[in-house]
Amino acid sequence: MIEDLFFIEKQTYRRSLIHELDARVKIVVCFAVIVAIVATPYSPLVFPVAGTFAVFLLVLWLLARLSPVVYAKRLVMILPFGLFIILVQVFVQNPYYAVFTPIADLPLGLHIYRESVEFATILLLKFLVCISFIILLSSTTKVQDLLEGAGRLGLPAEFTLTLGMMIRYVYVFGYMYRKINEALATRHFGPFDSRLPYRYRLRTLAYTIGTLFIRSYEQGERTYTAMLCRGYGRESHLYIRKKPVLWRDCAFLGCGLAVAVCTPVIFWLSSIGLV
Amino acid sequence: MHLIETRNLTYTYPGNVTGLDGVNFIAPRNARIAVIGANGAGKSTLFKHFNGIFKPTSGSVLVRGEPITRENIREVRRFVGVVFQNPDDQIFSPTVEQDVAFGPINLGLDEETIHHRVEEALRVVGIEHLKDRVPHHLSGGEKKRVAIAGIIAMEPQVLVLDEPTAGLDPQGVRDLVGFINSLSRNYGMTVIFSTHDVSLVPEVADIIYVMHRGRVVAEGDCDEIFTRPDLLSSVRLDVPVLPKLISSLRDQGVDITMAYTFTEAEKQFLAAYRRNA
Repeated sequence: MIEDLFFIEKQTYRRSLIHELDARVKIVVCFAVIVAIVATPYSPLVFPVAGTFAVFLLVLWLLARLSPVVYAKRLVMILPFGLFIILVQVFVQNPYYAVFTPIADLPLGLHIYRESVEFATILLLKFLVCISFIILLSSTTKVQDLLEGAGRLGLPAEFTLTLGMMIRYVYVFGYMYRKINEALATRHFGPFDSRLPYRYRLRTLAYTIGTLFIRSYEQGERTYTAMLCRGYGRESHLYIRKKPVLWRDCAFLGCGLAVAVCTPVIFWLSSIGLV
Repeated sequence: MHLIETRNLTYTYPGNVTGLDGVNFIAPRNARIAVIGANGAGKSTLFKHFNGIFKPTSGSVLVRGEPITRENIREVRRFVGVVFQNPDDQIFSPTVEQDVAFGPINLGLDEETIHHRVEEALRVVGIEHLKDRVPHHLSGGEKKRVAIAGIIAMEPQVLVLDEPTAGLDPQGVRDLVGFINSLSRNYGMTVIFSTHDVSLVPEVADIIYVMHRGRVVAEGDCDEIFTRPDLLSSVRLDVPVLPKLISSLRDQGVDITMAYTFTEAEKQFLAAYRRNA
């Protein structure tokens, strides 16, 4: 998991048209797409909307010149969190349908309904679109640029300062974790080494995690002291320089917002026969 | 009036461990002061009193003649900048520029002044090119410079460096020596630093304090400290290699004048060679 942190960071340092865009426009377009798909009513209308967003994502991904493996790896990491909730929907009724038609009867009085399957599929599509755009955003934008972008868009100073420190120390502890792992490996300890007794491995890992917690506590103390030395107080905030938005960024913002807004509107108008 | 003065400063850690025991220390204006001592001698503990991080168990700390109080603590911390040994303790922002700007922001400066201070601090330590980098992509020496720049940007009158050479390569140490000397020479700052690398001291210090087990056991200039090998060995230190060699040659009858820095020693060796040639 920690190594994934460095893997994600590596992707953000690549060069492409999408990578070089201002973080602000990427954040806005990403959230516009998320809001658009979430706001699309729970109906078959979601299918063409999600399809169009998938094509949009594909175009952006190709422009970002990232490997599909990057997307697949990150999707696999995130998918279990949403998949469980979506799977449960298949067995339960929901408020979006009036009539439920069982398509399979299971033991313990469980039923699979046609409408619930449709609802779960819509939910899955919404979930996939949302996380796919988050994956795109975080794979093409350096984390510090994301923070600066969010700050320039008006994220309160309390959040930017705290998130900034979190970002900094996630990497400090990432490196600390690496060093601990190297120290264990140097002395032939492997958590999955079956030649070592199970209880011994468990105990060693518990000590290691405990050490990491203690070190993080101590690091926190030292950092706070250093902050006080530099005048930390109520007015402290992260320094974010003013940065102009280039025409290229404006063009992307315009196109992105047009896709995000027009897609659900056009499909909705066509569903009611106005287009 | 001295910039920093401690009078009979005593500090006891929880668990009744003595950190400092009756320390009298004076930092005059535009001075380069080395505090030398073995591990656990109390150097870092002393430094943490200079800007009010630690409060004395007894005795007093005076900054510009005034004790540190709740009312003047922010001003004291602007006046006395402390650079910690481990830069990871001190660099807590996502980018170098943001980290260097942290202090000036806390001083309530306007954006233009903050920008100017950041640029200037980065220039002084020679890392303008690292401005947009993230700290975890930097080497130990670069991180050390960022930590120093973060303090320099607050424009303190006294710069306190805790073990500044720890973890630096020889070029890094040379750069640091030049940097400390330039702060004193060009900006009139007082620089206080701790080390147990005694060979560095003659190059960068006018005044030396020797600490052992929380006490100041000797103070003076190079002549007064490095001519006392017994004292230094009793506190787990040693005489720097150049005066040690010259002292040994003198004991063996070579007519050579004592020198402490490389340049002085080179001059004295050449003079001795010419005399004997």
